Amino acid sequence: MDFPENLPSSSDIGRLEQIVSHFFPKALHIVLDSRIPSLQSRGRTRDRNLNLKKSDKWFNLIMGDRPAALDKLHSWHRNILDSMIIDIILIRDHDHAETVIERWVVQYENPLIMSPQSSDPCTRYQKVYKKAIILLRSLYAQTRLLPAYRVSRQLSSSLASSGFEMVYKVSSFSPPVTETMTEFRFSPVEVPPGRLCASVTYRSDLSAFNLGAHITLPPRIITDYVGSPATDPMRFFPSPGQSFEATSSFHGRAGRGPPSERPHSWTSGFHRPPTPNQSFSPQFSPDFHCSRTDGGDQHQLSPPFSPSGSPSTPRGSNSPRINVRPGTAPVTIPSSATFNRYVSSNFSEPSRNPLPPFSPKSTRRSPSSQDSLPGIALYKSSRSGESPSGLINHYPAHKLTKESKYDSGRFSGLLSSSGSPRFGFSRSPSRLSSDLEDPDCSCPFDFDDVDESSGGLQYSQSLDRRKTSSSISQSLPIGRKSQDAAVGVLVQMLKTAPPLRQDSSTYMASSMSGVQREGSSVSGTESEFSMARSTSDALEELRNYKQLKDLLLSKSKSVGGATRVH
Amino acid sequence: MNCQVCQLKELEVESFEIREVLRCILHTIVFHRALGLIRPKDIDLELFDITYVQCGEIEVEKKIDDRIEHFISWIEKHPNKKKTQLCVSFYKAKSKQPWYASKTDHRSFWERWYINLNVDVVLHPTKSPVGNSKLVMDLGDASEARSCRRKQLEQSLQQVLFQIIKFVNDKKDHVPPPINDDREIYCPFEITITSASSDSTFGKDMWKRILLNSGHPSMIS
Repeated sequence: MDFPENLPSSSDIGRLEQIVSHFFPKALHIVLDSRIPSLQSRGRTRDRNLNLKKSDKWFNLIMGDRPAALDKLHSWHRNILDSMIIDIILIRDHDHAETVIERWVVQYENPLIMSPQSSDPCTRYQKVYKKAIILLRSLYAQTRLLPAYRVSRQLSSSLASSGFEMVYKVSSFSPPVTETMTEFRFSPVEVPPGRLCASVTYRSDLSAFNLGAHITLPPRIITDYVGSPATDPMRFFPSPGQSFEATSSFHGRAGRGPPSERPHSWTSGFHRPPTPNQSFSPQFSPDFHCSRTDGGDQHQLSPPFSPSGSPSTPRGSNSPRINVRPGTAPVTIPSSATFNRYVSSNFSEPSRNPLPPFSPKSTRRSPSSQDSLPGIALYKSSRSGESPSGLINHYPAHKLTKESKYDSGRFSGLLSSSGSPRFGFSRSPSRLSSDLEDPDCSCPFDFDDVDESSGGLQYSQSLDRRKTSSSISQSLPIGRKSQDAAVGVLVQMLKTAPPLRQDSSTYMASSMSGVQREGSSVSGTESEFSMARSTSDALEELRNYKQLKDLLLSKSKSVGGATRVH
Repeated sequence: MNCQVCQLKELEVESFEIREVLRCILHTIVFHRALGLIRPKDIDLELFDITYVQCGEIEVEKKIDDRIEHFISWIEKHPNKKKTQLCVSFYKAKSKQPWYASKTDHRSFWERWYINLNVDVVLHPTKSPVGNSKLVMDLGDASEARSCRRKQLEQSLQQVLFQIIKFVNDKKDHVPPPINDDREIYCPFEITITSASSDSTFGKDMWKRILLNSGHPSMIS
């Protein structure tokens, strides 16, 4: 039997399959990296191409280490035919009003009829890959141009509460936004047999939110400050599902750091076999711990192509909690409803992929009544968690309550996994990787990197926090005026003092600077300075300085080690 | 070869704004054409509330800065010229050219971007003041006019960036595929000064452009 020449070969299908499967997490990474500070990547400024992860090389756009949360977010996206909808939401603090200010939609549209492939199969995926690269470049640039970017930067940089919080929501479908928004559609990229589409709908004018108007609160002194990512990076809370502040305040986890996982609201919508290092309960639980601080081995997601998977293995067998999508799919994605939604294991059938467990708390659903469809990941951004000063990493209890209530109630449909394969994506990964190493076709991307062990969804467990200056020396300027004046007098006296031996003068200068540095009260010694008129007097002063300096240094040692802000 | 052309919207800029505006536009264009493995770099403009993306390649940055400086010095030498145009041309090297072929013939241009600038060398604040109060008022008006103009320029610059994104999205077929090679991260390009105004120096600019295209930028006086 002769196959039509223009049908894609099995190796092409594998390559195209990879392009699509890697496109979604990359797009997700780009969008959330620019909107949610807690999900910003580390390692972006590292030396070029050193120790680059394979997943980071996709589409020739190095984003840095992908935060664990992003991989988890994407882990539910098994079916490439499902849309990935990323909502950026502003929540007003006092009344929790939510406004979707931006919606990104990434979708792989699959036509019913396969279009004939006219170009040489060997170069087809190269062209597709090239176009996908350009699409992601423009998506990246677009994220920086839209108003939400500025808002995100503003919220994350403001020290005081701005009255708003930016959160994100990732889902397969969402109710249409009712506000007037501007839409921009990226040109789709033909990826046979379908095409990759991306679009963004956004509010072009965010002035109504008065984001700058709330930054009037005076800085608060946190009396029970227990640390922040700035002071102790190991105590960072990478959890996307919680605000950093709440975690640090309420779980007393200062020494260990907050869990990375809870507070993922989406975890409550998923079943996930509890691992030794995770406990996926929608509530804060002392069992949670920060997977990142552990070095993250616990969250190693398996590669998108499982070597043991077979095309016909229903996903459900491996992930019993995946619900079957009901036949009445939302009209927002009409095309998907008509297709068999089975996803081959090739795309992401991690043999050890832990999906979050369903939680009893997931009874509270959105009004769109997608009760049987888990899948939305709702996270909070940690705008204040990024604050280097750590002064505002303290939230009252009601914040926590609000958060858990909020997080658990957001679920929308996920993907079904029933049915039989429909399209040509039914290759086993092992065959795939061998085909991909076809020497006849030079690949623009490294197929020998195909993710047996690492996968596009794997990430480094290192924390991504920027180590801002640690010791928060926010001690109140007690008696600062008198200190400055005293120092000024000191300087004056020293300048007018009779010349001493070189080493003595040096010592005095250093002790003086020590006094300046420590800032302790020197007014007590002021009266002595006026009497320094002779060498002996000067020596006497020197001795006093020395004593003072020693005292101050000893005090500073005892004070400087603490991180409390008094 | 099919050469795609994109004419960007004209921007009215003051001479001190040229650097930032051009950096923003040029880097955005090159970012979309640097299809090799790159580490993008976000840059905030100082004069405007805009963040643009660089491809992160030092050579690209140097080249762009160099051409911008060249353009600025050219502007200073031609203060009477208001409307100017920069052309960013992407090419690929042709092989097997006859011995008499010029350097231009060795390049196959597949895309050109025209950046149109209307340069205000001096912003005239007011007419001669009658009295102090008028001077104050005029200066106040001038600063208000300036900030209004700055805001308009910011919006226009954003529109230009949107225009670039739209163009790179709409037209992808003509772009040569990226070479999986660390040596070639971005498509080779050149930046030349063209002129949109039709004064007596137009012909001279034409010659300059031809000479520039032949790859001898030092021939520009």
